[in-house]
This record gives sequence, structure tokens and C-alpha cells, in this order.
Amino acid sequence: MQDLLSLIFEPYVFVPLIFPGITVAFLLLLVIIWLERKMAAKVQLRYGPLYVLKPLGGAIQMVADLLRYLFQEPIIPKTVDKLAFILTPALLFGMAYLPTVAIPVSPTFYAFRSDLSLLIVLALSTLAPIFTVVMGWASNNKFSLIGGVREGYIVVSYEIPMFLSALSMAVLYGSLDLVDIAEAQKGLWGIFLNPVAAITMLVLMYMSTSKFPFEIPEAESEIVAGAYTEYSGILYGLVMGASYVKLYVLSLVFSILFLGGWNPVPGFMANDPLLPGVLLFIKAFIIIVIGAFLRAVYPRFRIDQAMDLGWKTLLPLSIISIFISLAEVMIMGGA
Amino acid sequence: MSLEERELEVLIGPQHPASGHMRLVAKIDGDVVVELRPNIGYVHRSVEKLAEVKKYLQIIPLVERPSLADTTANNLTYVMAVEKLLGIEPPPRAQYLRTLLAEINRIHSHFYGMGIHGVMIGSSTAYMWCFGDREPLIELAQELTGARLTYSYIVPGGVRRDLPQGFEDKVEKVMRYLENRMPDYFDLYFNNPVTRARLEGVGVLSREDAIRLGVAGPNLRASGVPYDVRKVEPYAAYPELDFEVVTEEAGDAFARVMVRVREIQESIKIIRQVLKKIPDGPILNEKYMKMIPPNLRKQVEETGRIKFPGVFANLRVPAGEAIARVEGGRGEVIFHIVSDGKMSPYRMRMVTPSFRNVILFEHLTRGVRVADIPAIYGSLDYFPPEADR
Repeated sequence: MQDLLSLIFEPYVFVPLIFPGITVAFLLLLVIIWLERKMAAKVQLRYGPLYVLKPLGGAIQMVADLLRYLFQEPIIPKTVDKLAFILTPALLFGMAYLPTVAIPVSPTFYAFRSDLSLLIVLALSTLAPIFTVVMGWASNNKFSLIGGVREGYIVVSYEIPMFLSALSMAVLYGSLDLVDIAEAQKGLWGIFLNPVAAITMLVLMYMSTSKFPFEIPEAESEIVAGAYTEYSGILYGLVMGASYVKLYVLSLVFSILFLGGWNPVPGFMANDPLLPGVLLFIKAFIIIVIGAFLRAVYPRFRIDQAMDLGWKTLLPLSIISIFISLAEVMIMGGA
Repeated sequence: MSLEERELEVLIGPQHPASGHMRLVAKIDGDVVVELRPNIGYVHRSVEKLAEVKKYLQIIPLVERPSLADTTANNLTYVMAVEKLLGIEPPPRAQYLRTLLAEINRIHSHFYGMGIHGVMIGSSTAYMWCFGDREPLIELAQELTGARLTYSYIVPGGVRRDLPQGFEDKVEKVMRYLENRMPDYFDLYFNNPVTRARLEGVGVLSREDAIRLGVAGPNLRASGVPYDVRKVEPYAAYPELDFEVVTEEAGDAFARVMVRVREIQESIKIIRQVLKKIPDGPILNEKYMKMIPPNLRKQVEETGRIKFPGVFANLRVPAGEAIARVEGGRGEVIFHIVSDGKMSPYRMRMVTPSFRNVILFEHLTRGVRVADIPAIYGSLDYFPPEADR
């Protein structure tokens, strides 16, 4: 028992399995979808989820939903490509959560330390959309196909500027190691050093995870549910959760790049992963909540408008952010 | 690759979250709509044929059912046509009450249309707000008529009920609430940059086309044609009321929404005038009032609720033809009744605004993006059951 506990608290087990890995990601999923519905309901002058655990305002609504998804029959239409149809939700969810392994929790607590951890996280996070496109093709449904193609178009318009604005911070701190980047922000946070990069990255994060106003690949009134149209039961639960998990991962990266990661944390606490981990999580959580709240504010863009925004506004902005970083490095005499 | 192979035929509806009770057959080339044909008739209820076997009073609820959000217009038009055949005029107080209900109905019909449009372009907040703010108006109508949507309030010769006690104050409260609420809609929805991007310049209907295609109602006025039956051929209490015909010049989806918003403001003006100017007097034509038995007539005078005289059950309408027109929430409603003097009309023709506007689906969607289909659909305030009848 003692051994088991100490094994769990080994970083290489704790990070993928507990925080920021699957357990917290899963709990967050249950909370954030409830919170999103509750916040939208507040703006829209209604109650939102209420009856599941009424004293807490329906807080475990998503547990009930999850149970329903689990026991609902996952219908697999005859005409689909069965292997791709069944495997893609699991792969999509897995790929969305995989980048968490490279995210450090504190200066000394991480699954593995790499000089390239920022690149690893970004590279892994780009794999998930491929499965959405495959899903659209495998479903053998016109709406799914359009949804998959839309996802593909959106990916090419957010990926490049998002990487550029994330990498502009690497230029600024002179490192691709997330631990170094966070430690470099003991004083001033990245968002104040390079606000252009921060805003660009924030918008593109919401675009990449289909938050409003970029909820284009699964626009209900246009293409039913996009690539997810044919899915039901727990398969649908997985694909729906994947975009939230992806937002969670990107929010963690955003917090480390721009919001100081686990800073400010008192020096004597820095070796204990608890406080830094909690701080990092709170920052990421706020970013996710903002994204969830946008649902109540914006309608959705048309796909050509979103692509215009990506290529014509955000790409130049992200290039500008690289120049800002370079200029700051020159002025301050190198990192 | 030939053009045929490039095109993808997408069947939007009837099982689709935003199609309504109809099917849109879209041919798309990439993200561009090559052709969109509405396939209507899924909710045809045979109202015109049914009317030929129903008695005149039974037809009132029948004609209301197809356009559920805008029932007063159908009710009023039908009764006006019947009254023309009967050769009777409702008393002035009844005329004002008809106008009052028609305007309350116009506001909540516009909210209905705007709400559906909101959720079609992705703003669930606009949807919930519109449907929430529709509620006080429905409750007003409920207090006046006893029903939330299918009022059957207007009967040949007058209306069914008088104003309830303290109704004026309640109306004023709702009107003030609506006026205070409107800025919120502008802040969050109409002036939202995304809403503007989605609606402005989308589905532009030129003035010439609007006239040529015979478009009706707010969709016509959004193209800069100041045509409103309330002004062109005044009925009920409208000749005595002061209001403006709302027009917009742009003719795009946003202009159509704006016409509705400004019409709500005009309707508020009209309702206030109605309550100020409403004369005292009976609410049913004298001829019918006399037919109510004396003890019941006393009860009618005390409660303000009409007990139908026996003649209504087997109302016979003199032979002849009559046409009546009314400006409903969605546009011009026309009823043409041919009577051969029997207990049911020989033929009843019902022309609804949605039926006249359905042509716009094909006309406005050529060359637009796939995502514009719901944006245009919603802006037309098209209601399939009303078109199918």
C-alpha cells in the first residue's frame, strides 16, 4: 500500500495519470461543461442544469449525462467504415490529452524534462484534428464530410499563427523548455512583455477548440453536428470531451507562456508541487472559463470569415509578435 | 472534372435541427451554394378544403392553427371577409380591441422570428432572450382572451371579451419593460461584430426584385418598399391611429431584422394610443347583441364576456364573394371567401405571407455560402405550416 502510494506520487506516474493528466482532465470536463451551461443560463435569464443534486445547482449534471452516454447504445450505421468509425473517438480523446505528459507542474516536478517540451506539447496537440477529418470521412454522411473538411480548413488557418505566437515567447526567453520559460517569469509575466502574442494565441486557442464564435466545424444549424453527426452513446461522449481536453492542455501552455506558470510562488514552497500545481491549474481554469463564457456572447462566424481572420489578421499579428520578442531581446541584451 | 461531379447535393431537412418542417435541397460546390430549392408541403393541413365542410364559426380556430405565432392576423382577416358578406360592422370599441390584440401579437410574432433567427446563426442568448421576452406579451394576450396563442378572439360582429380590470396598467408595465430591454439586445446581439459580419450584405433583395417576386411584409419593407396594408387599405382602428411604416434600404438579412425591431417600437406606440383612445360601448354588433337572451345579456354586460347567441352556431352567410386583407406580423394575409348561402363557404382561399415569401429561398441563396442558408432562412421569418396551410 505504501509502495503503491509512493509510486503514484512519482512524477512520471502522477503527471500523466493525476495532474495535469487524465484524472484532473476528466474532473475538469465534468465541471466545465456544467459551468458553461450554468453561465450561459445566467446570461439568458434561466436556470440551466438544476435537478441533479439540487442544493448545488445541478453540479453533477455531467455525471448523470456521462452515465446516460455509457448506457446508451452506440449506434454504428451499416455504411460507415467500421474500424475508423470506432477507433477515432478514442484516438481523438487520447491525442487531445497526450500533450499533458510534457507539461511541468513545478520547477522540480515533471514527468520528464526536455529542452524541447514546448515543441513537444504543440506538436502533439496538432495530431488530434487529423482524427476529426478521418471521422468525417469514415462516417459516410454528407454533413460529417462537410464538418471534417471544415475542421481541416480551420486547422490550416489557426495552426501557423498559433505556433508563431507561442514560439515568439520561446524567442523572448531564449528557451523551448517550459520549466525555463516559467522560471524566467518570476518578475514580469509574459503577457506584459508581449501582449500581441498573448491575444493572438488566446483567440487561436478558442478557434482550435471550436469555442464560440468559432464553433464552425460542428455548427448545429448548418451541418447538424459536423463530423460527429453519426456518433451516439459513449463514442459521442468521447468526441465531445476531446475539444474541452484540448482547450485544457492549451490553457496550461498559455498559463506557462504568458501568465507566469506557477509564479508567484514563495521560494520555500517551490519544491513542493502542491502550491505551484494549484496556481497553474487556477490560471488555466480561468482561461477555460472565459472560453466557455463566450458561448453566451457571440454567434458563430462563417468559415470564410474565420479563415480571413486567421490568415489576414492573426498571422500578421503573430509575425509582429516575433519581431516584438526580437526587439525586446535586443534591447535587454539577450536572455 | 465536369461540373456535375463537383456538385454535392445536400438534403437539409425535414430531419435537421434548423430546417423546420420542410426540406431544402441544396446543390453545393465546395462551400458555395449553386442552387437551393425549397421542398414544401410536409405540414399541409388542407385548411381550404376542410373549411368547405365546417361551419363559419368553426373555421375561426381552423385558420388560426397554421400560423401559430401569428394567429390574430388570420383570425382577423377571415372574420373581416365574413363580415363583408354579412354586411355588418363591429362597434368602435371592438375595432380598438382587435387592433390591440393584433399589435400585441405582432410584437410576439416578431420576437419569435428574431429568436429563431438568433439560434440559426449561433446566438443561443438571442434565442432565449427573445423567447423569454415574448412571454409577458403572451400573458397579456392570455389575460385578454383566455388563450396563449390560439385566441379565436375575433368573432363576426365584434370580439369575445372586453378589457379585463386594470389591463391598461399591466400593458403599460410590459411596454416599459420592452423599451428598457431593447438596448440590451443592441448591446449584445444587434451590434455584436459577429452578428453584423454574419448578416450585413447577406441575402440582398433589391427593391425591383422584391416587387417583381411579390414578397410580403417586413421582407418587402426591408428592401425599401413602404407597403403596409394598415396604411394602404386601413382596417380596424388603424385609420384613427398615428404610426409610421418602417422601411430599410439595404435589403439584406440585417435590414430585415432591423425592420422587425423598429416595428416592435411602432407597435408599442400603437398599443399606447389604442389604450388612450379606446371608446366606451358594446363589443358586439347590436344585431347579435339583441339575439342573446335577456338574462344572459345582463351577464354579458356585467362580465364583459360574450355568450354566443344561438344564431352563431348555424351562421348562414348570404351568397356572394368577399376579399379581406390584413397586415399580419409576417406580412399580408388575404382571405377570399365565396359563399353560396349555405352553412359552410363554397370555397375559401387563404393566402399567407410565408407562402408568398417561399420563393426567396431560391432567389436569395444563389452563390451564397453554406453557412448563409440558415442566416437567410431565419431572416425571412418563414414558417412552414403557414406556407403549407
